[in-house]
Parts: sequence; C-alpha cells; structure tokens
Amino acid sequence: MTLTSRLVAAALGLAALAGPALAEFPERNIESIYPWAPGATMAASQVIADAMGEELGVNISVVSTPGAGGVKAFETALSRDADGYTLFDGYVAPLVIQPMKGNADWTYQDFTPLWSATSNSFAIAVRADDDRFDDLSDLIAYMKENPGDLRYSPGVAGGIPHMVGAATLMATDTVAQLVPYPEIDVAVRDMRGGILDFMVTNPGVYNVNKADMKVLAVLSDMEDASTTYGGAPLVGAFDIDIGMANLSPSGWNWWLVRKDTPEDVVTTLRNAMEAALKRDDVHQRLLDMGYVPTGFSPDQYEEIVGAVAGELEHGQKAIEWETEKLNGL
Amino acid sequence: MFDLLIEGAPLYFSPASVLLTVLGIIGGLVIGVLPGLGPLMGIVLLLPVAFHLDPIPAMAMLIAVYVGGSAGGSISAILLRIPGTPLAAATLFDGYPLAQKGRSQDAIGLSITASSLGGLVAGIVLIFFSPVLADFALNFAPPEYAAMALLGLLTIAVVSEGSAIKGMLAGGLGLAVATVGTDEFTQAYRYTFGTINLTSGPNLVAVVVGLFALSELFVQIEGGNFRDRPQIQKLRISFRAFRLIVNHRWNVVRSALLGTGLGAIPGAGGDVSAFVSYAVAKRLASEAEAYGEGAEGGVVATEAANNGTCGGALIPTLSLGIPGDASTAVLLGALFLLGFFPGPELFQYHADVAGGIFLAYLASNVVLIVLGIVLVPFFGTVLKVPKAWLLPLVLLLSTLGTYALQNSVFDLWVMLAFGGIGYVLRKANYPLAPIIIGMILGPVLENNFRRALLLSRDGPMIFLERPISATILAIAAVMLVYVTITTVRPRKRS
Repeated sequence: MTLTSRLVAAALGLAALAGPALAEFPERNIESIYPWAPGATMAASQVIADAMGEELGVNISVVSTPGAGGVKAFETALSRDADGYTLFDGYVAPLVIQPMKGNADWTYQDFTPLWSATSNSFAIAVRADDDRFDDLSDLIAYMKENPGDLRYSPGVAGGIPHMVGAATLMATDTVAQLVPYPEIDVAVRDMRGGILDFMVTNPGVYNVNKADMKVLAVLSDMEDASTTYGGAPLVGAFDIDIGMANLSPSGWNWWLVRKDTPEDVVTTLRNAMEAALKRDDVHQRLLDMGYVPTGFSPDQYEEIVGAVAGELEHGQKAIEWETEKLNGL
Repeated sequence: MFDLLIEGAPLYFSPASVLLTVLGIIGGLVIGVLPGLGPLMGIVLLLPVAFHLDPIPAMAMLIAVYVGGSAGGSISAILLRIPGTPLAAATLFDGYPLAQKGRSQDAIGLSITASSLGGLVAGIVLIFFSPVLADFALNFAPPEYAAMALLGLLTIAVVSEGSAIKGMLAGGLGLAVATVGTDEFTQAYRYTFGTINLTSGPNLVAVVVGLFALSELFVQIEGGNFRDRPQIQKLRISFRAFRLIVNHRWNVVRSALLGTGLGAIPGAGGDVSAFVSYAVAKRLASEAEAYGEGAEGGVVATEAANNGTCGGALIPTLSLGIPGDASTAVLLGALFLLGFFPGPELFQYHADVAGGIFLAYLASNVVLIVLGIVLVPFFGTVLKVPKAWLLPLVLLLSTLGTYALQNSVFDLWVMLAFGGIGYVLRKANYPLAPIIIGMILGPVLENNFRRALLLSRDGPMIFLERPISATILAIAAVMLVYVTITTVRPRKRS
C-alpha cells in the first residue's frame, strides 16, 4: 500500500466516522409509543404526531402498544436507544399511577419532558331518555335512598375515571355497584340497553354517542371542560367538592423521551412539538375531538406532575373507600 | 341492506383493496391447491402482513385468501385424488372420475364457477342477515354474551373432527392460554412469570402461526418425499364451464343456501356442509346412479356448498363476534387487532367498515370466477412444486412475519413452543381449531360472566331470568347431554 492510498483510506475512515455525528437529527422516521388500544384518544395523539412530523420533516407514527395499564408501552420505549427516535406518549396511568401502585419501578422524574399534549375531563352521564334523573342532585338523592341499587361503569377499574367517579361518590356519601368494562364503548351499549344506570365518560366517547347520553355533571373545576361536553354543568355547581382540582381529575399526557437522550436532540424535539401545538389548525382539531391542548412547557413538568401525583392519592383512597362500602352492602 | 354497501363502497373501492383482493385470490388458490396447506394456512401466513395495512385492504386480502383457498382445494382433489383442503374431500367423489374420463378441464371449470356462484349467493344472504342478526343482538347484555360464547365454544368442540371430548379438551387449552395476561377487572397480572412480554398474553398471531403453520411443517417433514413431482394431464384455459354451469343453476342455489345455513352455525364448517349438500344433490338428481362415477352435479353441489359456508361462517363472526370456524376465528382476531370489535357495534358505528368487508367478500367471488378459469394451467405447474422448495418457504414466511409483528424475539419463542404443542396434539388426533376459538372467546366469556354476576342482585340466577340467555344456555345444555350420551354409550357396549 502506498502512502497516498493509506492517507486516502484514513480520510475515508474518518469521514465514515464523522458522518453520523454531523448528520442532522432526525434523519429517519420517529415512533411514538402509545399505551392504549387504537381509538378516539389515539386519534388525538396522531394529530399531534402528524403536525410535529411536518415540523421535523419526517414521519412520526403512533404505535399502539396496549397492556398492563400502560406499563407495557413504557417498558417497550425504555428498551429502545435514547436517541430521540422513540417518544413516550406519557399518559398519567403509566407515568404516575402504575408506579404509585408498585406496578412499575420508575417515577416521573426518570424521564426528560417535551411539551405537555392534551387533557380531557370526565363526566357523569345517564341514558338520554332516562327521566329519573334531570340533574346530578336527582341521581345523588336516588342513591342516598337506595344505596347500591344503581349500577355504573367508569370503564377500566382503577383508572382516573374510576378515581374521579369514586371521589364523587365519597364526597356525597353515596354508593353504586361498580361494573368494570375494559372497553368503554361496550359500557355505552349496556347503558343504552338499560343494564347500567350511569357511567363516567370521556369526551371522545361522548362525541360519538351524544344522541344516546345525557351529561349530568362534568367532574372538573376547569371552565374549558364544560365546553367539551356541550356546556354541561361542572360538579362544583351542585356544591360538591370531589377533592381533586386542576389537572388531577383529568386524563392527560405529556410527551417524553429517555433521560439520557442527547441535549441537542431534546431541543430539536421540543421546538418541533411547541411549533406543532401552537398551530391553530392543530389546536382546533384537538378541541373538536374533545381534547383540550394543555400547552405546559418542559420547565413546568416538575411543578405540575408532582402536584398531580399527590392529588391522585386522594382518588386512590376514594376507590378503597368505595370497595369497603360495596363489600359492606 | 344496500345502505351498508353504499357506505362501504368508498372504503373498499381503492386501488389497494382491489389489488389485494386479486392477489389474495391468486395466493388463496395457490395455497388451496397445495395439498396439506389450505385457506387457514393462507390467512395465518398473511396475518402479519395484514397489520402493516389499513383495515379494509387488510381484511380484503385475508377474505380473498379465505375464498380462494376454499375453492383451490378442489383442483388437487380432481387431478390427484388428494383434496388440497378437508373442504374439498367430497369433491373427489365425482371430480376425480370426471378427470379420469379426460374431462379434468370441465371438472375444474365447474368447481371454480360453482364455488364462485355459491359464494355470491352466500354473500347476498350474508348482507341480508348479518345486520338483522346484529340488530337483534343489540338486546344482548353481558349474560347473553357469556351464554353465546359458551355455546360457540361447545359447538366448535363438538363438531370439530375427532372426538367431542378431545375437541372440548382442546377448547379448554385455549381457554387456559387466554387467562395469561392482565386481569381486565383488577389489573392484576396472571401467569406472566414476571416478564413484561406476557402482560397482554401471548401474541395471538404468534400462537396461530405456530399452532397451524409450524406444526403442519413438522408433519410434512416427517412425511418425507421431498422431491416428488406428481404426473398431471396438460391443462388449457377453457370457458366451457360457463355453459355447463347453467344446467346446474338450481343445484348451485340449493347447495349454496345449505352451505350458508350450516356455515352460520358456529363450528359446522365447510367439510360437513359439502357432504350434506352432496347427499341432497344425489337424492334429488334424475340420474342418481351417475353420482360417484363422475357426475357434474356432484362437483357443483360440494363446491357451491363449501364456498357458501365461508359466507355463512362470516355471519355470526361479524354480527355477534362469535366465529363460525377456525378460519373465521382468525379473521375475527385480525379484525380485533386492526381496531374493530365485531358485533352489533360494528354495524352501528362502523357501518362503512362492515359494508367494506361485505364488498370485499362479493368482489373476491367475482375475481375468483375470472382468475380461477384463466389460471388453470398455472395450477398444474404449482402442483408440481416439490416439498423441498415449499416447506422452507413456509418456514421463512412464518418466521419473518411473526418477528415483524412487534420486532420481538419472544414472539418467535411463542411461535416455536406452539408449533411443538400443535405437532404433539396433531399426532394424538386432537383438533387444533378449538384452541384458537378458546383463546378468542375466553376473554369474551370471562369478562361477560363476571360482569353479569356484578350486575346481578341474585348470583347466577341472572342467566336464567333473562329469556335470551336462558334459551342459549338450554341449547348448550342439550348439546352437552347429547355429547355425553353419544360418547358414553358406545363404551358401555364394548
């Protein structure tokens, strides 16, 4: 080998080494690991992913990885490299609730936040033609007179809808038979069929089934929440304090990456997500679907998520209270 | 009923769906022609591919394979006296003698046209009855769903080939596998052995591929004869069958309706309906003695019936979520995983998807009649492919497809394990289909049973107080008594 060819080889080798470092992130498609089965909520994540992908010039696909109350999705994302090509669609269940229950060994502090995405409040709804209950007070009065007679479903047991439902029952010292449904759509069918008396619904399900349900109260203290349910009254209007405020009685997600992701990559992702969320068309599409863009910045993560974690303990206690009541019937 | 088709039209009539229907029919015919494979194998091998497609093109492809595969089995029955699939077992009674008389082209043409027309008749019944049944099922609540799932499990176990006891044991194994994962009521882990891979149970596709494709592979390898090439008469394209089939029009309609009716009963399946409609056609024929010696009517009856069964089996699958046979069980699983829950809700909220699936089924049968005739010479060539080429291809497709599902090596282990289980069970003459039905109906049964008990104020009485669930359970009880009597009695005699 001549000296020239050695030099050429060395130069080529250096160029090859330098290549990946010089290339601009992102150079290929990104995956966002979504913790639930496909449905209305996933469509909301897809809206953000599409807009963010447009900002970055690559495609962001939302990958549904349901299982174990969201833990499976987090485990999947954690098993990938910390290179920014895998995002966590950080729903409150895998981020806060599962670790709280001891089902996962991370805390919210183990991730690097991008921006917060959306929140959605929950509401108590009855059959559209159910003339027993005109408003929430009727429902509560009925439950006081006939404890445990009514049947209700918050969808999955132990989730946030269940927490806020149980917190409402605890605040009013009433009890109804809990019937869990892994698929909330099926609960709507059974409520329509008269098997269930009321349910704790989310805006996505409400939007699809508007004609079949009447919303008695929105379980939130945020005025915005009422508009996602066609202007239904907030639970506070009935002088009920469910003991959970702001974001904590809602479902919400905060997009995250692995803690050890390079700083420049994090900055690129944050900027793209911020730009996507500030677009009017994105904002409006999310609202139309019943999901309120929250728009919290990465430096508000600690303050907001930390507070919610504390307040969810209250929801957990409400579920324990409810279980005891039901066992005592 | 036409609303559904109109709503589904924009979804179905996309280049992707139509192209995949055509490819699905070709693939289905090929896999049906090859002895030992069959529509189920075709669906199983393409399942992993389906998840990378949009729902309607994906379902169009799988349904086309189902239709093509059910029809393709008759070709090897006619030419080689080996039914490509159990569905075509009755076709060789008259198909093979016809071929021996030098009329193999007519026999194949008749079987393809009869299949296709039978499928179209079934399609019309499907489109008419599914929404009606789904509408009725709107009155179903947890007790009814639990009872229906129990009945579906029982029938498939009882009617499947082999003994009813073995069928039930296989169904029980499926139920047991279905318990692995997360308890949907309490979020507790069950039999996950501390691994995150099992928190949503073993992957259904990996199980299906292992159970059916891999175990079949083991059996074929054991059979040897890797380089055999059968002798086949030269085949040409002939359109004479279009003229011949007209003479058998009533036979087609009758057999297709019989097939559809039997197919709609969970568990009955195409082989049963083919034999039944063969017997009926023979009894009604003017020259009954010609049956078995190469009667055209025999081929027409069996083929119209077994493709009719495909349409029939889709009726309970789509409208109740209770699969009619193993192939529809896998189709049902596919629809689940693509994000749609078969049942009344499918018709109510996703009428376009239901309509798209109906159109896919109808289109498959139309494509079948064209391609089935045009590709006849090609099938002769396919039959000559030796196992030495075929089996590695099946292994490659199974492995790649399963891995590509979620890039998980664990899924490959699941596939391999169930391949072993499937092989042992085949050797011991256990039917495999009930395992899949058990896995799919297990959660339906469990969740609705528990939910019904929570709803009840009176323990299990809720199942008897509601007329529909009581009726379904009564049918299940009668079936159980019948099986017990027929299984116990012969033993006493011996």
